[in-house]
Amino acid sequence: MRWILLLASVLSLTACSSLGVTPWERDLLAKPEMQLAENPMEIGFDDHTYFSKEGSSGGGNFAGGGCGCN
Amino acid sequence: MQLKIKIKSKSKSKTFTNISMTLAAATCALSTPVLAQPSELDSWDVNAGLLIYAEGDNQVQAYEGALSLTKQIDDERSINVKGVIDVLTGASPNGAVAQNKAQTFTRPSGNGSYTTVTGDTPLDDTFRDTRVALSTQYQQQLSRLWLYSGGAYLSKEYDYLALSINSALARDFNNRNTTASLGFAYAYDTIEPEGGIPNPGVSVDNPNNRLTDSDTKQTLDLLFGLTQVIDRQTLMQLNYSISDVSGYQTDPFKIFSVVDSNGWANDYVYENRPDQRTKQSLFWRTKYNIQPSGQVLDVSYRYFWDDWGITSHTIDSKWRVQLSNQHFIEPHLRYYSQQAADFYRVYLDDSQPIPEYMTADYRLGELQTYTIGLKYGLPIAGNEFSVRLEYYLTQVSGDDSLAKGAGMAGLDLYPDKSAIMLQSFYRF
Amino acid sequence: MIKDDTSKKNYTLKRQTGYWLGEFTVMASPCQILLDNVDGALADSLTALAYAEAKRIELKFSRFRDDNIIARLNSGTNEIIRVDEETIRLINLADLCFQLSDGLFDISSGVLGKLWHFKQQTQLPNDADIKALLPNIGWQKASWNAPLLRLPKGMQIDLGGIGKEYAVDKVAQLLQQQTDNAFLVNFGGDIYANKLRSNEDSWQIAIEDPNHLGKSKLMISLAQGGLASSGDSQRYIEVDGQRYGHILNPKTGYPIAGGPAQVTVYAQNCVQAGMLATIALLQGEFAEDFLIAQDCRYWLS
Repeated sequence: MRWILLLASVLSLTACSSLGVTPWERDLLAKPEMQLAENPMEIGFDDHTYFSKEGSSGGGNFAGGGCGCN
Repeated sequence: MQLKIKIKSKSKSKTFTNISMTLAAATCALSTPVLAQPSELDSWDVNAGLLIYAEGDNQVQAYEGALSLTKQIDDERSINVKGVIDVLTGASPNGAVAQNKAQTFTRPSGNGSYTTVTGDTPLDDTFRDTRVALSTQYQQQLSRLWLYSGGAYLSKEYDYLALSINSALARDFNNRNTTASLGFAYAYDTIEPEGGIPNPGVSVDNPNNRLTDSDTKQTLDLLFGLTQVIDRQTLMQLNYSISDVSGYQTDPFKIFSVVDSNGWANDYVYENRPDQRTKQSLFWRTKYNIQPSGQVLDVSYRYFWDDWGITSHTIDSKWRVQLSNQHFIEPHLRYYSQQAADFYRVYLDDSQPIPEYMTADYRLGELQTYTIGLKYGLPIAGNEFSVRLEYYLTQVSGDDSLAKGAGMAGLDLYPDKSAIMLQSFYRF
Repeated sequence: MIKDDTSKKNYTLKRQTGYWLGEFTVMASPCQILLDNVDGALADSLTALAYAEAKRIELKFSRFRDDNIIARLNSGTNEIIRVDEETIRLINLADLCFQLSDGLFDISSGVLGKLWHFKQQTQLPNDADIKALLPNIGWQKASWNAPLLRLPKGMQIDLGGIGKEYAVDKVAQLLQQQTDNAFLVNFGGDIYANKLRSNEDSWQIAIEDPNHLGKSKLMISLAQGGLASSGDSQRYIEVDGQRYGHILNPKTGYPIAGGPAQVTVYAQNCVQAGMLATIALLQGEFAEDFLIAQDCRYWLS
């Protein structure tokens, strides 16, 4: 089941070679609030908190915790 | 971005005088002189952050300060250095189950003990610890389409040392609308708990309940990422990651209550987790710029599973709303639900043999967490300052009928936990 | 004079997401005026103003006309001509660039344009023909004593290398007198922006890849200032696999070899950026050495 989900998501995105924008349509995407890592420190704090208090890790970035919190 | 062109390597170079000033004077005389300075890359970008985490009922409190410095060396390379200090105080559940009587526990160090009153979930307050972490991350645009990122990390607290390195490559496709990336990380952790590594399943009162002074754990992480621009307003990210952890993964401070048929604990033994864990996750994130307002909606879903029997779903969403004069608010909602690990138990029955692997740590149990928060940002002295207040509720689920006998009658074996988190950032 | 006749406008005005776009063709280039945070009526009058000024400069300084100061200077009569204030400034700048570039930037090299026209040209001009023109080239031979200019017989000057950037800066100056809002002037890749847009964003500029026309190679965020590109993306000859750009060396009569295909420079205003870019390209393989010494932001491709 998991593998079907994985395969489906990869295939649906690779079929996306027709998707996208021309360089002069990147105005909105260039804005800071549209960046994936808009505030890396905030992501770091959250990841650390949830890694310490829950049983899962990773997703957006590496899964490692690197501390004795869990 | 400065693009190096493929000129045959020059055997000679020439020195030139700087004519910019002369030219500037002459050209400004042609038309209106320009007053403002051209914006330049500042030398170092600084991000300073503070986190205060406080649980209710005198449980864990954490204070974390972080400083992150990024320097754009040139148009292709940047380097980041980050330092974090965190201080942990308060008490955390030790894994023993609540009882209708007072319970006394020895501290892990062996020096002293603490008592839990009737009906309370036993909490160990030995967690006063300070941790320091340093990391560095380097990024380089190898060519027009290839980006490399690599870094190292070190974290030290009283009884724990973590060292890791990471490396990743990313390539752009489809006129930079698609980015595929592959990253790996390796970590080597050493744990040296006070009192030594406990003997799993052995009673805490047993004088021979320690194995060695320290143990280690190694983690290998692989991350496959795909980022795709969908249209002018929409960006999506899909990640798959797999992680292999081998080594000591038990929490040396967590114990189990061994209870009799009447629900009274007559012994406490140390927990034990497997030496091997394979974790996997699928992560999907979308950022959508709502037009014409310019508000940004950021929604992500993560599906996680491992070979300890834990599966979880996480939905995280943020909504950025720009206000006038460069202020903004950003509400935040997060939902998390987790299935328990195969070897998760609330307590052990004294009539049953001690299992090979067992943990009563609620963090590996069945739980749902809810986070609701609000972030407010505004410019101070021309730089962005923001503050974020969040409420984090954990609801532990379980079989209430396990609260058996006189020993546990009427007790909530799965207490909720709430915490307040305050984060603050200043970037300049 | 431009007739204020709305039924036969020389420019178009379109509303884009977040800004007004005025477009017209002047100096054989697609020209754009991007106006932030103005209403349609103001956008129209500003575009009309920009068009009028750009057209005025084209008519006054184009070497393809026979009724302007350039035509008079190039008529070959070897007479002393008094030029006006605006022309003085431009000739002074050309003179300065001639000196600062050790004679590589030379407005008298325009006469080579007869041999190197780059329109479907498939072979190099005859070496003898090139040599024959060289005696007519060399700004040092002109007699310039502002406001008096005398060109020797056979010398032709061409302000094409300065004209477009100058038009950008002049139009920008006029627009700034009419509005406090942010705007961007783009005449065929020579650009000036006066300030950040009202939502605090920079203008996003995509620079065309000279090797893949229509595709952009790099994105520049321009908050304020001038941006100019010099290069051979549109005009070049390819003979035997060797690419000859349209930047000609006035001393040899041949295109500059060995340099980058395109140089983009950022400076306080468009003319300065354009001069730095052109002089850089004139240095051939030393283009980057030159740019580094100028302490300016630049991009090569």
